[in-house]
Amino acid sequence: MFRFLLVAGAGILFSNPVVTTATAAEHVWSGLVVATNVAKPEPPPAELHRLDRTLRATFGYNQFELIGQARKKLVNGNEDWMASSKHFALHVDAQGESAEGYRLNLQLFQDKTLLVETEAKLNKSSPLVIKGPQIGAGQLLLLLVIQ
Amino acid sequence: MKTFEEKFTAWIDDQLSDAERAQFEAALPDRPAADAEKEQAHKLGAFLKEQLKTRAMANEEFFHHQLRGRIAREKADESETQSLPDLRTTWWSIRRLLWAGVTSLAIFVVCTFFVVREKQTQDQSQYLSQILNARVDPAVSPDATVSIFQTKEDRVTVLWVDGLKSLPSDYAAK
Repeated sequence: MFRFLLVAGAGILFSNPVVTTATAAEHVWSGLVVATNVAKPEPPPAELHRLDRTLRATFGYNQFELIGQARKKLVNGNEDWMASSKHFALHVDAQGESAEGYRLNLQLFQDKTLLVETEAKLNKSSPLVIKGPQIGAGQLLLLLVIQ
Repeated sequence: MKTFEEKFTAWIDDQLSDAERAQFEAALPDRPAADAEKEQAHKLGAFLKEQLKTRAMANEEFFHHQLRGRIAREKADESETQSLPDLRTTWWSIRRLLWAGVTSLAIFVVCTFFVVREKQTQDQSQYLSQILNARVDPAVSPDATVSIFQTKEDRVTVLWVDGLKSLPSDYAAK
């Protein structure tokens, strides 16, 4: 019991500094990924190595191809940028930072049509994935990760 | 069969029947000495009766009053003691103190457990990305639905949009 209380106390003590460092100036990687099932899947791009297994289990595809990406350094947490491919564009508008992460307004466009709009809080230790439309036999996925 | 001493004592006390007395007196070796001893015994008995006679109490009523008062006070004290037990000895016995201590400790441990668990849950939610809201244009995708969940591995937050219009494969172009 004493050990449990000691560990819990240490966790509480060290939790705030971890969150604080997570919200310092950082890079946000945003990517447009097409997931497909193929006989001989190619290895995922470097940005997806860490999430490959989770993406396979969650969406049921074995290959993830990057069709568009952007990496943005957040200085004051109010920047905006676009990750785009030939037909799709993900507009990211950062609206400040807090202890829980960056508040983002996300818009997915297909050509010039707005398909999905969402507001989210992006945390360093928790990537964000949006399931987009079906493309042929595959699936469009949007990923945001703080690096 | 009575012994000589028993018959002699009964003779002095005039407890023998006539026949027994005549037989005993005939058997006495020294009758005058025995008569003298009997007379001495009777005198001694009379003297003792006179000396040990109960003396009349001069203040009998006062004595009885005092005695009754004392008995009444003692009874009152006794009943008071029975109706009000000693709280210190009945409520704070060693066993009850022990139980009180153990119970307090158990309550403290349970409260601590729940407080720490709630704190951990709050801390965990701080480390997860959150979808605050999501909108799909109903004019473009009238059947679209959204749901949100977190994966157990990698703490990935997923916005799952169903019902968007399917597109041909050439839309996967870079």
